[in-house]
Amino acid sequence: MTWARVLEWLGYGVLVYFIAMQAYILGLNLISTWALRRDHHLNRFGRVTEMLSSRTTPPVSIVIPAYNEVVGIVDSVRSMSLLKYPRIEIVIANDGSTDGTLEALIDAFKLEKVSIPYRAEVATAPVRAIYRGRGAVDITVIDKENGGRADALNAGLNAARYPYVLCTDADVIFEGDALMRAMTRVVEDRERTVAVGGNIRPINGSPVDLGHLVKAEVPKKLIPRMQMLEYLRTFLAARPAWSAMNALPLVSGAFGIWKRSAAIEVGGFTPGHMGEDMDMTMRLHRHHLKNRIPYRIVYEPTAVVWTEVPETARVLRRQRIRWHRGLIQAVREFLPMTFNPRYKVVGMLTWAANVLFEFIAPIIEFAGWFIIPLAWFLGVLNVEAFVWLLLLAFGMGLLNTLNALLLDESYGYFDTKTDTARLLVMALIENFGFRQLTVWWRIRAMLGGAAVKSWGNMERRGFVRSVSPPQAPPASSASRP
Amino acid sequence: MPKILIADDSETITTLLTTALESNGYEVSVASDGHQAYQLGIDSEHDLAILDQLMPGLLGIEVIEKWREEGIETPVIILTGVDDERTAVESLDRGAVDYVRKPFRLPELLARIRQRI
Amino acid sequence: MSLIEPIQFATLVVLVLNALGVAALIILKAINRSRRRRAEARKRSHMRLISRHVAFEHSTDPVPAKAATDPAFIDALIDVRNALAGSDLENLERLVARHGVVDELVSDLRRSFPKVKRLRAAMALAELADDEAVPVLLEHLDDREPEIRVQAARGLGRMKWTPAIDAIVARFGMETPWVRARFADTLIGFGSAATWPLVAYVTVNHRHETAGPVAAIRTLAAIGDDEAVKPLIEVLHAGADPEVAIAVIEALGHLENPMAAPVLRSATRDADWRIRAKAVTALGLLADTESLEDLAAALHDPEWWVRRNAAAALGVIPGGLDRLYEALTGRDHPASEAAIEALVDIGELAAARARIEEGNGRTRDHDLISVAEAGR
Repeated sequence: MTWARVLEWLGYGVLVYFIAMQAYILGLNLISTWALRRDHHLNRFGRVTEMLSSRTTPPVSIVIPAYNEVVGIVDSVRSMSLLKYPRIEIVIANDGSTDGTLEALIDAFKLEKVSIPYRAEVATAPVRAIYRGRGAVDITVIDKENGGRADALNAGLNAARYPYVLCTDADVIFEGDALMRAMTRVVEDRERTVAVGGNIRPINGSPVDLGHLVKAEVPKKLIPRMQMLEYLRTFLAARPAWSAMNALPLVSGAFGIWKRSAAIEVGGFTPGHMGEDMDMTMRLHRHHLKNRIPYRIVYEPTAVVWTEVPETARVLRRQRIRWHRGLIQAVREFLPMTFNPRYKVVGMLTWAANVLFEFIAPIIEFAGWFIIPLAWFLGVLNVEAFVWLLLLAFGMGLLNTLNALLLDESYGYFDTKTDTARLLVMALIENFGFRQLTVWWRIRAMLGGAAVKSWGNMERRGFVRSVSPPQAPPASSASRP
Repeated sequence: MPKILIADDSETITTLLTTALESNGYEVSVASDGHQAYQLGIDSEHDLAILDQLMPGLLGIEVIEKWREEGIETPVIILTGVDDERTAVESLDRGAVDYVRKPFRLPELLARIRQRI
Repeated sequence: MSLIEPIQFATLVVLVLNALGVAALIILKAINRSRRRRAEARKRSHMRLISRHVAFEHSTDPVPAKAATDPAFIDALIDVRNALAGSDLENLERLVARHGVVDELVSDLRRSFPKVKRLRAAMALAELADDEAVPVLLEHLDDREPEIRVQAARGLGRMKWTPAIDAIVARFGMETPWVRARFADTLIGFGSAATWPLVAYVTVNHRHETAGPVAAIRTLAAIGDDEAVKPLIEVLHAGADPEVAIAVIEALGHLENPMAAPVLRSATRDADWRIRAKAVTALGLLADTESLEDLAAALHDPEWWVRRNAAAALGVIPGGLDRLYEALTGRDHPASEAAIEALVDIGELAAARARIEEGNGRTRDHDLISVAEAGR
């Protein structure tokens, strides 16, 4: 067999892979569209007001891990305490901050040291003290030694008094009814619902006042704008489909409601994990499917939280490398579930697709950068077929984006002509450069090495101001060919 | 004409109150958040303020406190949620003259306003 | 190569779809934009109009003829309604009646489609709670749309139409959790009138299902009618499923009726620790002085949660403090921990510290002292 022959067979292999991937993305788009249309009318009719006035609405603990968040923490706690919901408490896990976060909280919320019992149902780094607010806001602060985001979340889980825990970040902005909308999904089925994920949207460039979003706008800078498209694809054209099949691969860390008892039963969040949200989601799937316990994990697109996404390539690069490392960790951990019929849709589809199209895809694409010129050089590249395929891939990608934009239209966030034009132009040009960069970053993440070393404690939580939003790896967005 | 300041982040409440108060012969100014309410109170004198407790920016009670620091003694009625006993009591402690629970009855609210002006 | 043609074909199809998609997006955005603006403006003007009608019983401001069919009008009506209570609502109802709003909505709900229109009608009828809508709401308690069933029950509840209670309770067991929770809200609104139908439902069904009876028991607790106490005790005696038993014990605690004390006392010795934990808390709520022995015994329970709840209960029952002090200086370390936490919670610090310091002749417990100190 000659090299040319090998390359030819490789070509067929890639073609099959390409077709499978396109079918998968198309499938997600179709199912998402169906699922969103099915639920759309419900959201317009009274569900939220009914929950608000009900005495049976389950109370929720909002858990916020905080590491050096002195700048925005007081405002964000205030804005969270104003969320429309009958009964909430706020639990902050101060993860050994060194910038006076704790003092700022003590001052703003009239905190006092208390000796309420702290059930260490999940082991964490040592807790130094527990504070309770004496003011109008029901707030508890766990002051603990540094242990990372997952560890802080675990401390929050331990201290939470209510049966459902909303895990989020200190630097996000909730829409007023977001919690209520997400919790309607819990009340729909209290017995079985173990997790609900919300919709995360980039806020860059939109005016914010007093911890509230004034008006949603398309980011003016290119890098956040490209991410806007990624988020829309993930949260509108992929997650609804997974949710409809009860096979959501990820409940994002920036807005995840967990049933406290279930999260504790699987041992809490994994300390030091780069994608502790995906890890928790998958462990919940595994636990319930393995033991044949009925459960559901759902995603609610109308529960919206706004977050700042990286604005520079440098920060974005780190975020993506970290996300991909998280994915690698998860792929390793949950590999036995792949194509395992015991895990039903989660094993056969969700995780299989995650491995095939999120984990392996960048490798194939990266390899293509070298193999295609080589094949061309050897004269075995069918140039015509290649060009058409490239065009097809481009067209399919664009179709995916357009569908996400159309689905987003029903929520009415962007409606000026400029916004529409900005999004459409970005949909065209993101394929040239940005996309290749993300592939390279993923490859870089797999290579390990230098980038790994710098992932110390600080790194994991400390770049840009505050936490790298640990949300949504657009992994599993299946956004691109 | 007595002047009343209304502060609430819900447009329904402000519209409703504005309409009801104006037609009862009061002059009304409206704020939609705590800071705005505070500023309006500083900028001009009001005979009464009706402040929602749960507003973005500053809570109703906090607006009272900041006014008092500035020497503004406008009497305040606080609007509280249905089951918010804690706020109701606290608002009286911190210098509100009265509180009204949401949802409210207009005649009752109007009577309380008359009592204070 | 034969592969090229299908690829070309697929590509062309995809590109055409893309072009259509772009066109659709641009057109849709333009249309929606102007529609949203208009709806907002209409709602605002309706809101002002409705406010005037509410503020003035005899307002003569004209209401547009087509208001009854305008979703913006209904929205405004509902918003204003939610902000108000009492006699203001009567003014609102008069406004509604005068403009044939209810008739319009009833005919919408009776149609078989479109779903959105039917939902909107059901919700508006429930919000407006107009007596004229009773027959149609009763009819739709078993509508095929869950959300319409919810709205039908809610509307009947808002009118306090008690004959509907049985029909609502009868559906408890077969409903989805969401609908059940909303039905529970409605029944709580009915108050004592719903007690007996719920009791009957629990008595009959608790043996072969859990979700429905548990929801019914929680509803009884929220209603707070003492009539429910005796039958609930019977359910416990009949040997209920643990989930049901836990709900009953919680409910008995909420009802705070001393009649429940004996059965709760025996529940503190149940094999299931969750039942024990709930039982001691309930006894605390009853503030039953005869239960002191049982609560003191529960301080030595192997489960942390039971000890903690028992200590908290002792903290609020007259005479309970002495039992906490006893436990504090006793040999059982977990019990003294539970005791100190409860004492710290109720602000009995100084006394607690003094007791530990003197130690009643036993060794001082430094752990406990530090717990007490942490609580200042």
